[in-house]
Amino acid sequence: MFTKIVRAGQIVFLRIEDAFNKIFSSEQNILYYHGAMPNFFMWILFLSGLLLFAYYMPTLEGAYQSVEYITHKIPFGDMIRGIHRYAADAMIITVALHALRVYFTDRYRSYRIIAWYSGIALIFMMTLIGISGYILVWDERSYQIVIKVSEFLAAFPIWGQTWSHAFINDNSISNYTMSMALFLHTGTSFTLLVMLWIHYMRISRPVVNVTWALGCLLSGIILIFAGLMPATSGPEAVLIATPTYFDMDWFYLWIFPVMDYLGNIWTWVALAVVTLIAILLPEFVKSRDDEPATVNKDACVGCKLCAVDCPYEAIYMAPRTDGSKFKEIAIVIDARCAECGLCVGACNFDAIELPAHVSTDYMDKTRMILEATV
Amino acid sequence: MGKNKVVVIACERSVNLDNELEGKHGANLKDVDNAYVVRVPCSGIIQPRMIEKAFKDGAEGVIAMGCQIGDCHFREGNKFCRERMLGMRPPVIKKTVPKNRLKGLWMSEVQVSSFKKRVRDFQDHVAVELEKEAANAS
Ligand code: SF4
Ligand code: SF4
Repeated sequence: MFTKIVRAGQIVFLRIEDAFNKIFSSEQNILYYHGAMPNFFMWILFLSGLLLFAYYMPTLEGAYQSVEYITHKIPFGDMIRGIHRYAADAMIITVALHALRVYFTDRYRSYRIIAWYSGIALIFMMTLIGISGYILVWDERSYQIVIKVSEFLAAFPIWGQTWSHAFINDNSISNYTMSMALFLHTGTSFTLLVMLWIHYMRISRPVVNVTWALGCLLSGIILIFAGLMPATSGPEAVLIATPTYFDMDWFYLWIFPVMDYLGNIWTWVALAVVTLIAILLPEFVKSRDDEPATVNKDACVGCKLCAVDCPYEAIYMAPRTDGSKFKEIAIVIDARCAECGLCVGACNFDAIELPAHVSTDYMDKTRMILEATV
Repeated sequence: MGKNKVVVIACERSVNLDNELEGKHGANLKDVDNAYVVRVPCSGIIQPRMIEKAFKDGAEGVIAMGCQIGDCHFREGNKFCRERMLGMRPPVIKKTVPKNRLKGLWMSEVQVSSFKKRVRDFQDHVAVELEKEAANAS
């Protein structure tokens, strides 16, 4: 049943991609850039964020006014704010697409496990960046977010109170709270880059950029949204009043309705369960028995072609010490090997082989088939 | 006249041929005369030498098939296979291989029927090419 659903999902992806290939060509097929798209939006966010940062004031009195100033006084300030907001939403949407695609096409486990775990971490980090970003505006919604998050943190057993105080950066909401929000927003953003570096580990030549044409298309979409539906603030937060305004952004603020519905403790439980399932998902599928590529040291001439072509950084070249006339030999790091056979295709000397798929066996098979036909 | 003998070296993740093969070695493509399939784990494993060898062993045309370019379970297998056949990536195909009778086909799992049509079309193409070669030789 479970495998059937996954299979069906894969077929759906393949069919849609096939249709896109026919319309846009595979070179410009946006679905083949499911990993590069979030990256593209991330750079837009960094750039627009930098511009916003220039005029932003992280204080209780100044924050709201500075955002208003950016929106209404700075030339194109409203556009930049809108771009920042909608690029963030687009990033989450494309991340979801990316995650579903790798899940349904079975490209997330065993030799890809680092990417899966770091991907989960990236989603958490993005959510944190999004939530802290909505605090910076300092309207009534921001105020509610601060209250709800601090209560949510406080509900965690043992350390909860400490976290809650660390989050507000004092016992009551103050300018330090704003500094903390700004720190969480920008600090985590830069940490994203580190996590992305981990995300790309063991992937040779990751596809991190979309094509020019697709870049223009994606920017255009963001511009249209920013122009037609400008990002706005609610009423300014007043600490003594009860805030009511809460405009929903379902991509980043979904946790707040969940908290309202489940209560803080059960939200923690639900978060833990969902995260655990995500982490364990790769374990639900039985991996095949591993038989990584093996190098025949007598045949290897040290040409490096296999090491260059391996898509998972599983081959490195080591100096030879056995007195051979060749200087280097290819070494396979077994734990990284995906048994894909790309190295076999790259080797002109039958020096590297997959034990379960020996290239000469395929040649023999072809000969037998052809002989049987005469 | 029978169709020309064509070998398809196919990635097992591209066109789904699970129920499309029959015959002694489980290699005969159903509904297409004289087309034989050897399945490999990824088109990236196809060495130029495998293609050379297939011609040497009597194939009149060879198709290397992988998933649609841009999509490869192992990231770059079909791209590299294609580049090797086009002489853009080492190791490349020897000059002695009749490249006019070699074809790269990049199709996804769901395209079984159009795959068969492409194979038949290729057989027609091979027939034409062989005639041309015979005319040039004489
Ligand atoms: S491609 Fe073959 S000969 Fe070249 S380094 Fe790799 S194993 Fe050795
Ligand atoms: S089979 Fe070869 S190319 Fe593929 S991951 Fe293993 S070592 Fe790398």
